[in-house]
Amino acid sequence: MRRIRALAFMLAVLTLAACGRQAVRASEKEFLADQVMIFDDDPQHAATNEHIRTNREGAAGGQGAGGGGCGCN
Amino acid sequence: MQLARASSLLVLCATGLAPGLALAEDRAEFSTALFAEKRDGGKGGLTVVHPQADFGIDLGRFVTLDIAYAADAVSGATAQIYQVDAVSAATTFSDVRHEGSLSLGFKGRRSRLSFGTTVGTERDYVSRQIGGAASIDLPGRNTTFALAYRHSFDEVCNKDNSMLTPLEAKALLGSDPCDKKGLIFGKDRLDPTTMLGLTRWEEISIDTVQVALTQNLSPTMNLQLGLYGQVLEGFQSNPYRRVRIGPNAPQEHIPSTRARWSVSARLNRFLPKLRAAVHMDARFYDDTWGVLGGNVEAAYSQYVGKNLLVRFFARAYQQTAATFFKDAFFYETESTAGEYFTGDRELSPVRNATVGAKLTLISIGNEKPVWGLFDKLQFNLRGDVLFLDLVAADDTAANSAGIDTQFIYGNSLIDAVTVQLGLLGNY
Repeated sequence: MRRIRALAFMLAVLTLAACGRQAVRASEKEFLADQVMIFDDDPQHAATNEHIRTNREGAAGGQGAGGGGCGCN
Repeated sequence: MQLARASSLLVLCATGLAPGLALAEDRAEFSTALFAEKRDGGKGGLTVVHPQADFGIDLGRFVTLDIAYAADAVSGATAQIYQVDAVSAATTFSDVRHEGSLSLGFKGRRSRLSFGTTVGTERDYVSRQIGGAASIDLPGRNTTFALAYRHSFDEVCNKDNSMLTPLEAKALLGSDPCDKKGLIFGKDRLDPTTMLGLTRWEEISIDTVQVALTQNLSPTMNLQLGLYGQVLEGFQSNPYRRVRIGPNAPQEHIPSTRARWSVSARLNRFLPKLRAAVHMDARFYDDTWGVLGGNVEAAYSQYVGKNLLVRFFARAYQQTAATFFKDAFFYETESTAGEYFTGDRELSPVRNATVGAKLTLISIGNEKPVWGLFDKLQFNLRGDVLFLDLVAADDTAANSAGIDTQFIYGNSLIDAVTVQLGLLGNY
């Protein structure tokens, strides 16, 4: 349990450390704006996958949490 | 029926309720997926045709409206009794499910908020859902935090077993009446001669929460961490399925409460020199029924010329059995697992692998609109194959009947194929 907590703490610290304003500048987001870098850029494809899996896997669900993060809009 | 419950999760992403999905311009998307699964028993396979249509409209600068429709036309063979030889008891069936969604979104400079509702109906299942989602880009716009919640009020048609014990409960038949009021509300049916209940609609409520943190790690790499939780309360058995317990075959009986959660991580890395990207995805799942699961997925996207994008993907999945799941032989010869018994493959130990590819043809109207209307038009074609491997839940040495025929799913190399065609236009 301690290991899991330590891992979660490290993950949170690393994530927050990467949240600085200058992590990636606006002028450096050309590749991040590409559609292949958007999570679930094809919602119908993602929805169909999830639909099929939910009927075949007891552990399905919870994918398709959405894109975002590019900050390119 | 089982398709309906699946959809309660999917609308989070399919209707734009998912965090971060707000789009900046009007769009229309149509697709149709065909899923075909091999099955034994001389009754043919299982086929699902799944058309979808989504429309996103900007109502001024800050408000968006999303309207979606989806359907499932299902036909094929199913096993109605979970037993040592389920194959010979296979029967055929067909059903159609309709689902419609409406979502209203509000966009700020760095934030998005949406509210939506979805209704679904089919012969034996109705669903009414409400939900909302919010997301915000933190200063610097390298981090997006998103939260989504949905509540589903569902009803399942069932035989009226209210006066019977679980070991006496009768399964619903395809010929039993499942009446509705206004298409999306169940209505119980009394037997006109005895005035006893014939069929009744059982309630199930589903609460789902999703949290996602998306982070730009470098100019060519981003990461998404996801947390998912769900609580289901109510009737969760398949009303048609029976389980052989000694000489009897009552309707399956499983717990009425289930809490589920998962964590996931996804990573994208763009490769500028190759005009390509690699994608990694990993997920861990746990629930109060004892099912532990996980999957890993890897994908590679490659631009070819100006207009073609090719994506290859591979995924592996494995899960353990629910604590009350037994191989059919042991239900038949030893009796139930505590008070419960089920023949649901989704609650058995199983693993599968998927490989596939997707082609995307992109047309951008730089000077004049594509087809006179669209700023961007995208045609998608994808196909994948599924390899399924059932694993014994109990001691194989003591199982003289084996597990090969307790489900009717085939033992061929390729167990299922999916093909999807889609057209997405932004205008």
